[in-house]
Amino acid sequence: MIGYGEPQAIGGKLLARPMKTLLAIFAVSLGVMWYRFSAGLGPVSNMTDGFTWGIWEPVNVVVFTGIGAGAYGVGLLCYLLNKGRYHGLVRPAVLAGAICYSLGAASIVVALGRYWNSYWLGVPTLWNLSSALLEVAICVLTYVMVLWVEMLPSFLARISASPSARWKTFGKKWGGRLQQAMPYIIALAILLPTMHQSSLGGLLLIAGPKIHPLWHTALLPTLFLISCLSMGFGAVVVLITILKLTWNVEHDQRLLAEMSRVNAYLLIALVVLRIGDITAGKLWYVGWDLISLLFFVELALFLTPALLFLSHRVKRSRGRLFGASLLAVAAGAVYRVDAYLSVYRPAPGWNYWPSIGEMTVTVGMAALGIAVFILISRMFPVLVVEETATGRPRASESAASR
Amino acid sequence: MTELEARGVSRRDFLKVCTLAAGAVGLPAWAGEMMADKAASSAKPPVIWLHFQECTGCSESLLRASAPDVAELILSLISLDYHETLMAAAGYQAERSLADSMERNDGKYLVIIEGAIPTKDGGVYCRAAGRTAIETAHKVTARAGAVLAIGSCASWGGIPSADPNPTGAVGASKIVTDRPIVNLPGCPANPYNLLGTVLQYATFGTLPALDELSRPKLAYARVIHEDCPRRPHFDAGRFAHKYGDEGHRAGYCLYKLGCKGPVTHANCSLNHFVDVPGAWPIGIGHPCVGCTEQKIAFRVPLHQTVDVDRPTAPSTYPPIHADHRVVEPLPVGIGSAIVGALAGAGYMATKKLTGNPKKHDPEE
Amino acid sequence: MIISRRSLLKGAAATGTVTALARCSHARERSGALPEAVGMLYDSTRCIGCRACVTKCKEVNGLPFDRDASGIYDTPTDLSSTTKNIIKVFRNGDNHAFVKQQCMHCVDPACVSVCMMGALHKEGSGKRNYPTERKGTGIVLYDKGTCVGCRYCQIACPFNVPKFQWQEAFPVIAKCEMCWHRRDPSQGEPFAIANPACCEVCPREAVIFGMRASLLAEAKRRIVADPKRYNGRIYGEREGGGTQVLYLAPAGVSFKDLGMPDLPAESSAHFSESVSHAPYLYGITPVALYAAMAFVLRRRKKRDDRLQRGGETKR
Repeated sequence: MIGYGEPQAIGGKLLARPMKTLLAIFAVSLGVMWYRFSAGLGPVSNMTDGFTWGIWEPVNVVVFTGIGAGAYGVGLLCYLLNKGRYHGLVRPAVLAGAICYSLGAASIVVALGRYWNSYWLGVPTLWNLSSALLEVAICVLTYVMVLWVEMLPSFLARISASPSARWKTFGKKWGGRLQQAMPYIIALAILLPTMHQSSLGGLLLIAGPKIHPLWHTALLPTLFLISCLSMGFGAVVVLITILKLTWNVEHDQRLLAEMSRVNAYLLIALVVLRIGDITAGKLWYVGWDLISLLFFVELALFLTPALLFLSHRVKRSRGRLFGASLLAVAAGAVYRVDAYLSVYRPAPGWNYWPSIGEMTVTVGMAALGIAVFILISRMFPVLVVEETATGRPRASESAASR
Repeated sequence: MTELEARGVSRRDFLKVCTLAAGAVGLPAWAGEMMADKAASSAKPPVIWLHFQECTGCSESLLRASAPDVAELILSLISLDYHETLMAAAGYQAERSLADSMERNDGKYLVIIEGAIPTKDGGVYCRAAGRTAIETAHKVTARAGAVLAIGSCASWGGIPSADPNPTGAVGASKIVTDRPIVNLPGCPANPYNLLGTVLQYATFGTLPALDELSRPKLAYARVIHEDCPRRPHFDAGRFAHKYGDEGHRAGYCLYKLGCKGPVTHANCSLNHFVDVPGAWPIGIGHPCVGCTEQKIAFRVPLHQTVDVDRPTAPSTYPPIHADHRVVEPLPVGIGSAIVGALAGAGYMATKKLTGNPKKHDPEE
Repeated sequence: MIISRRSLLKGAAATGTVTALARCSHARERSGALPEAVGMLYDSTRCIGCRACVTKCKEVNGLPFDRDASGIYDTPTDLSSTTKNIIKVFRNGDNHAFVKQQCMHCVDPACVSVCMMGALHKEGSGKRNYPTERKGTGIVLYDKGTCVGCRYCQIACPFNVPKFQWQEAFPVIAKCEMCWHRRDPSQGEPFAIANPACCEVCPREAVIFGMRASLLAEAKRRIVADPKRYNGRIYGEREGGGTQVLYLAPAGVSFKDLGMPDLPAESSAHFSESVSHAPYLYGITPVALYAAMAFVLRRRKKRDDRLQRGGETKR
């Protein structure tokens, strides 16, 4: 069993080829965003009055934050349930979460029609407390800050190791203070995602007439909450596996398999809840049509990784665990996109597919996220690297990113 | 033809009138030519024109042409054997004419009735030559080839029949019940409708197809509203609200001023009166009063709006669910390619990771 | 303190059940029509499709004419950012019926419930009210000053009424506001509250303006007076919690044919808020949860620090 080592900065060239590619992709999407701000949302996107959120809300916000919910899931396991052996996963998960949530928040600003009025969000007297979106907005903005605060120990650790005495003192002082405040920060880091991840499902409650009954249910907040935990765990396994291949980051198969077992129970709970929901009066919506097919595809997507996670072969195989985790992330993503887009019907006569501009911004945001992850991992102690026989970390040159 | 040419009427003008008349009853242009030839060549159809409770407006509308030649023309197309206003004769001479014509053209003459027929008190309210209108009507139509009732008065009673109808005025078809009558309502009736019917009878011996009120279908099947030149204004919601206001001067729809166009069957919107373009009520800015309709004219107040009867919603009305589709092949292709690439990469990575036994981390 | 897998599952099940049962909790009152609610009554049997209302609405609201994709002026085909009121036609062979579409000014509007900053609000009940707004009329107004353009209102509205200016760099949401700006305090009620231009200009009085209660009574009277003429339902009496714009349809034409969605009597706002708010218990739950977690974590940290200082490393 591998005890957890200390995280360290990966180092290496900051602007290697992969980084340049990612930043180039982001630059293109930056151009699209510039066009969006100068010409309006219509010219750049296929969003219409019927499908008014396009993919920027369902994908850039709901799916990305689902992936970033690894921070929430790992935090729950490590801190609340006091399983300290997950500690090595916390920083990468939190970094991924911070990045994903920042991307989500940035995408919202791009997607908002009257973004300049968003400063009103800071005036509580104007809050309409009955709005689930307000809850999401306030929670997400706060949570982004909390996540970056959770990353501060990593940044401060590097500052503490600085040759300059002044920075060293600064780093140590504030690092210490931060350590004292951690319980309060972590409590917030667990409370906030519970609230807003369920609210992301709650956003759809109001659109009852427009969402197919097989998806629209009072259980939406619960389902989204469970699904985000599942996605988060899956994303963490995928992330660590990729990091293992690129930078030889410590990859504890048993730990990840154990976490995936929790994921399996979550997925099974999802399936049970959804089937239970439709058997309570909605069975007649199930038929030989595309919508029902989609429903069963989703159930299969949930069930397959669940069963895989519980199988011994998968538990022992890094590759199979990786594949099953990918499926878990895909399952969560498909469920979210389906609820927001595929089964959303404002009225006859509307259809939607993202425009090239919208897809560019989504891909560009994802590219930026990966680039920032690489950058911070190189500069600050985030990842625990496995030691070679010489005692030095074996950093791989092929930091090929996906 | 030479007779007409002598009076300065060219064959072209003659043909024009005949074609218009043919059009009025829905016959094609070549029929007009045939009518012209028949009229020009031989016996002109004999017409006996009876006047009862009328203002002679229908006759006048026939004659009130801007070009006197056309009036002459019309009168040259038919042989008007008896017409109390136009004939030179009077008194016994006039009655002699009537009797002669009836005898000479037995079974072939056309009777045109203008005016309503009073029925109260034995019909004494209209007497000419010692006979009541009822008697005259019966007598003259008995041996006629065809009977036409021109004008609203003859068709259904017209203004004499307006409340309280003290004389018991009724249309000719209520009196002459033993034979079909072609009603040509209007106040006045559009003369081309008359002309076309008469010429059709004279040339082909047939009468135009009639609707349930015995009106020629092709002149009275549609309501004014359907063919009104101001219809686009109605469709766009542009109305005149007062006489002389901006909308009125701009020629907007007169519906809100009480236009009865939507419920009035007539072809005034297509055939204006005689040969003056724009010479019809709506054309000069007055709402249609529904003069052809018994239930409307002289009953519904001029400026009271009506329900639109059988409105034909044009195709420019938006359907309940408009088309808002935005999906196009190229973005679908690109998006699918991205998702496919992601799925493919995931699959390949999984396979690679799983396939290599060396990379298999054994459990410690 | 180790929480077992079993208790994790139990917790998850409990959360699920609580949320599911939240539907039964009456965390939110059903709102009824306000006492001074104004509204409109549209009688499809009287409408002749003249579209004077469409033209007049554009005129009084300063809206431009619509253009189609190639730039040609054309009649609008649907509500849009430049068309706040439209007439559409339903065809069924030789029969047809007109329907007027505009904001329904719901009794319990979904858009008002979801608007983050209260930009869409019932008159007088907003977060920032204009001085002349008065409570009780139920007109749904839009304040572009606080609107962030999130377009959640478009998702929420079951009638797809709010429209967005997609082609503008500084867009607003556009919808009928019952010509609230045309109100004339010098006139009596209800014109002191609003004066919809569409009602004023309709030549057949197919759409009329008045207090919702009187309009509802009038609609009922019309159905009773001529039952063969009407589809017996008054749309808006109860649908989606009730709307302040009421509809009558001709016999043989369903409201679904006219594009009006089939809504349950419970408004979507009520459903959504009941489910969402139930766990929060007026904010007690989050605070209590936070306090509990912070307490547990702090205690644990203190113990860990003590152990570490004592030389032993935990686990």
